[in-house]
Amino acid sequence: MTVAQIEATGRFTAVSGKTGEELELAMQRLWLTGQVTPLGARLLVEHTFESAERQPVEAIYSFVLPREAALKSFRVQGEGFEMTSDLREVEAAVQEYERGIDNGSLAVLARQYVDGMMNLNVGNLRPGEPVRVVLEILAGVERHDEGFRFRFPFTLAPAYHRKAQAVSLPDGGEMELPREEFGDLMLPVWKDNARGLHAVGFDLELVGGQGLTEVISPSHALKVGGEGEGRRVGLAVAGDVPDRDLVLEARSAEAWQLAWSWEGAVSALLGSTRFGEPEEETPRKVVFVLDRSGSMSGSPIKQAKKAIEAGIAALRPEDRFSIVAFDNEVEALSSELFDASKKSRIRAQTFLSRIHSCGGTELAAGVEAAARLIAPEGGDLLLLTDGQVFGTPPILETARQAGARIHALGIGSASQDRFLSQLGSQTGGQCRFLTARERVDLALLDMFASVSGPVASAVRVEVEGTTLPARDVYPAQPLLVRGEAAGKQLQVSWAEGSFTVPVVEAPKALGATLNLLAGAAEIADLESRIEGEPEGDEAEQLTALSRKYGLASRVMALVAVVEREGDKPGELPQTRVVPVGMPQDLEREAYFGAAIQSIGGVLHAIDADMAMEPMVEQRMASFAPPERVRAYGPAPPIRRFWDRFRGKDVVVETEEETEEDVLVELASELEADGGMPGKTPEERIEASLEALERFLDSGSTRSRGPFRHHVRRLLDFVSEADLNEDQQDRLTVLEERAAD
Amino acid sequence: MKKNGFSLSELAEEAGIPARTVRFYISRGLLPGPVGAGRGAKYGAAHLERLREILRLQEEGLTLAEIGVRGEKAVPQELPEPEPWWSYAIADGVEVRVSSDQAPWRMRQIRRALTELASQLQEPGEREEQED
Repeated sequence: MTVAQIEATGRFTAVSGKTGEELELAMQRLWLTGQVTPLGARLLVEHTFESAERQPVEAIYSFVLPREAALKSFRVQGEGFEMTSDLREVEAAVQEYERGIDNGSLAVLARQYVDGMMNLNVGNLRPGEPVRVVLEILAGVERHDEGFRFRFPFTLAPAYHRKAQAVSLPDGGEMELPREEFGDLMLPVWKDNARGLHAVGFDLELVGGQGLTEVISPSHALKVGGEGEGRRVGLAVAGDVPDRDLVLEARSAEAWQLAWSWEGAVSALLGSTRFGEPEEETPRKVVFVLDRSGSMSGSPIKQAKKAIEAGIAALRPEDRFSIVAFDNEVEALSSELFDASKKSRIRAQTFLSRIHSCGGTELAAGVEAAARLIAPEGGDLLLLTDGQVFGTPPILETARQAGARIHALGIGSASQDRFLSQLGSQTGGQCRFLTARERVDLALLDMFASVSGPVASAVRVEVEGTTLPARDVYPAQPLLVRGEAAGKQLQVSWAEGSFTVPVVEAPKALGATLNLLAGAAEIADLESRIEGEPEGDEAEQLTALSRKYGLASRVMALVAVVEREGDKPGELPQTRVVPVGMPQDLEREAYFGAAIQSIGGVLHAIDADMAMEPMVEQRMASFAPPERVRAYGPAPPIRRFWDRFRGKDVVVETEEETEEDVLVELASELEADGGMPGKTPEERIEASLEALERFLDSGSTRSRGPFRHHVRRLLDFVSEADLNEDQQDRLTVLEERAAD
Repeated sequence: MKKNGFSLSELAEEAGIPARTVRFYISRGLLPGPVGAGRGAKYGAAHLERLREILRLQEEGLTLAEIGVRGEKAVPQELPEPEPWWSYAIADGVEVRVSSDQAPWRMRQIRRALTELASQLQEPGEREEQED
């Protein structure tokens, strides 16, 4: 038996009349299938609904679209029926849905809001009636030179918005966004414990197009089948909980050199290393922009700070840099760029040591402040953030205006991948997204090392006489080319070189996917430029794109109404918003405060009316800590890591230190002239040779790996030093190894 | 407002919010459900008033959770059974209502008292005229 009962939270929850325990929810299961390629993915996301309540239910599942993604259609299936959605203008779709609800029919509406947030509404779900809704989604992937990373959100992360209100519940939190900006979007309730929520899982086909060496996941346990160009990847266990994104990383044997054709169109992916090495001459102007908001607390901010130190150590004398840290407020290391001298490095370290994470995420203000530092000629911003903000179009507008390339390094178990990828692509920068369990410092160093001028400019891509649009090629960013053309060969040429790539005819299904992927990317890009409700020209353009590709957008929604026998017109369904898990690794205090949780058990025990009273409100304003902790003491002494190699002064760390930790720390000790520190010139040469060896052992060379800049600088330093015969021999060996 | 109340979509339109949001508020216990069921389900002026109050409180910065706590006594969940009452206009601007559910002897007693009261409440002018 089931009864609806008001919990201490004031919400209705279905509980068992027998046990008093919460019943399974309106949505039971979410299963992801489909095909993932280096150019994007075509996904089928199956949502299984079945309600244990006694009255009909309107289930609302909220989720966020991945990067460069759009919805194509859905199928709704149940006992004795199956129906495919119609693509309609939003207003018409909503009306149709409402008519369906009013008639007592099963009505399904998939509607998109700002930031790629979606509400999937399944109205008039009858008690015990199994209904499946299978969404077809086109989505982009994060493309690397030698592989790609696919990310699918199994939960929607709570995020910062100046006008949002967060409410702490005994077992989680909920958040409300201002109607004028977000319309009637409904956010899920976040549960501290995702167990007992709907099960999630996946079974995907990976198509490499060229040999894949491995497929790994930093988020889920995998079972992987197949070899060569494709893989079948599934969840190693029967089901998982919705508290983090699925992240898959596929690595290819060599840099991408892929060209597919279908029905008069060509899509190609070319690794940046195919174009050679970047010129080293141009001095770099870099501002590290560090998100120190509350949601970054813990390991992300710690790793980020270390990585920035190591990045600064790799700067050359002619390079200029600064650091900007932001939460609700912005703080900068300096009012103008510093050179990379010893003095400025120490000031940078002091600045970093004072940074603590707390407060909101006023990302636009941080970007603006950083952009001012490199104006007017521009430069590169290295942004470290979890990107957890709602209402991103104005931020993107600020970023586009800033005149800087923004390289975004996202951190988190539940992503704002869509937003950060736009931040990168719309400013000419790169974007990578890591789970909080991966090493942020190595990724930042790697990203930092690839910040430079273009590897190839004035790139021309032709297919038998037809020129396709192409941009300049930057390190670590493979070139993606799409366009209408037909032929067997892709000719690529630029000022310093050229190569050709055979064009392979794509299987039919893949061809259609490639076309839709181009459409989804176009729609996502246009939407990110629209502030508020799409109106006038913007709405028209978006409608035209939606119609052209048959894809949903903010102006076109998907709807289906299934008339069943015994539909009772006028019956009012109970609204049930499907809860999700608080993203793993995200501290609830960052958004919902902790106060009520500790007395959660008590709350359940006392009278519901009384329990209402102590409901703790955490407004966004309270994100700002009462007082920022500032340690104005002197900078910590630079630890002499090279001493370690000789067994001297070994510092005992509280946490276990890994090989990577040592390398990052070592990298941060590089002095302004490119050598390691030491008391005498002799000691410095020895330490530098040892450090070089360590970096080479870790796999970095002159042109590869996160420490490639450190390798180059150390080599320069040592080769210019006064070496004895033995040292000269060692250098020769090291130079050979570094040559890659 | 129509004579017999609003449908859900009419109520939503009147308040200027989507019908889905109204259903959500009802499910959260912020707003009472309709009077009647099925096609005959109607919402009244009290519903509209409460809905506007919710929107106003939201404008003021309250969350739905807080509004829920405040709005306990807003509108009774269901209308009570109607009760018949007699209405006597005993003087200009004075009306007395008597429950029709009275024993006959009691009813006669009340009517007598009301007649007396009515004569006392006659306009001063009228009374003077009578006295003259």
